[in-house]
Amino acid sequence: MPNTRTTPATTPSPAASLARGVKLGLPIFLGYAPVGAAFGLAATSAGFTVVQATACSAMVLAGAGQFIGLAALASGNLVAALVATGIVNLRYVLFSATMAPHVHDVPPWNKALLAFTLTDETFAINIADVREGRADRFSMLGVGFISWVGWTAGTLVGALAGGAIGDPSKWGVEFAMPAMFTALLVGQITGKRELIAAGLAAVLALALSAFLPGQWPVVAAAVTAATVMTVVPR
Amino acid sequence: MSAFLAWGLSIGMALSNIAMRWTPLAVLSRLELPETVRRWLGYIPVTVMAAIVTVQILHPDGVFRFDLTNPYLLAALPTAAVYKFTRSFLGATVTGMVAFLAFRYVLA
Repeated sequence: MPNTRTTPATTPSPAASLARGVKLGLPIFLGYAPVGAAFGLAATSAGFTVVQATACSAMVLAGAGQFIGLAALASGNLVAALVATGIVNLRYVLFSATMAPHVHDVPPWNKALLAFTLTDETFAINIADVREGRADRFSMLGVGFISWVGWTAGTLVGALAGGAIGDPSKWGVEFAMPAMFTALLVGQITGKRELIAAGLAAVLALALSAFLPGQWPVVAAAVTAATVMTVVPR
Repeated sequence: MSAFLAWGLSIGMALSNIAMRWTPLAVLSRLELPETVRRWLGYIPVTVMAAIVTVQILHPDGVFRFDLTNPYLLAALPTAAVYKFTRSFLGATVTGMVAFLAFRYVLA
């Protein structure tokens, strides 16, 4: 890991780290591929060509943001669509800031690739791996790469197959992401204060879901709970 | 859908996303952050994940589900247990998907 506090005793080779990252990211692949296919289907139904739909996913890699952008574009207003997706994706600023102290010594090109593949899921897997002292820049690239492949390939299949692929929910894919986040949450609760922080964020997120749309309850709850835990003395 | 709108949306979203994802990473990683900020950022992962999980499990598809026939809630329990004892994200994710299918089938 570039951050010396998390450097493992024996440093694995770049190839071994990359392979470990790909393996770590497999649950993300499982979740992204079917949702990517749903985006491919939605995009081609909205008038995108197969190439345009696939290129969109390959360049953007933002699940909810892409769906919202697509829906907002239905009105024909490109600026409104971009503003809508920008607001939905504001949480990446928070994730990027959280990752920053752990990538001090990473080369700029590598930082750019890590930033490009920063999503809710890659952030969650990588930050958990950082906490365990096992992450390095190659493992993080592996996580990002397999996630990008799942999202882009899923979109291509969905765009090509159209309605020919059945309902992906029959495979339980709608629980792939909640399952992964449940596991990640368990891994993040390492003490009493983390447990209190999680409980506070959970209650706030649920309460705010009654009033706020989209990802706002998650962002507002996370920021508020983290602030309370930082301000309240140990 | 015109080619201009399709490519405009894709390229616009790509630029906006990379700006949000890259700027803090590039700028803040060069600075030594104050202890309070680092402590605050340290709480972000656990609070984000707790918030995401709670909304996904208890507010799926935009509807509050506090009942014990909620397959999302029920499937989360074996998922958490498998991760707690095996530390395998893939094992926990696959277990969760199978449990979700089973609970949904039984409760249908």
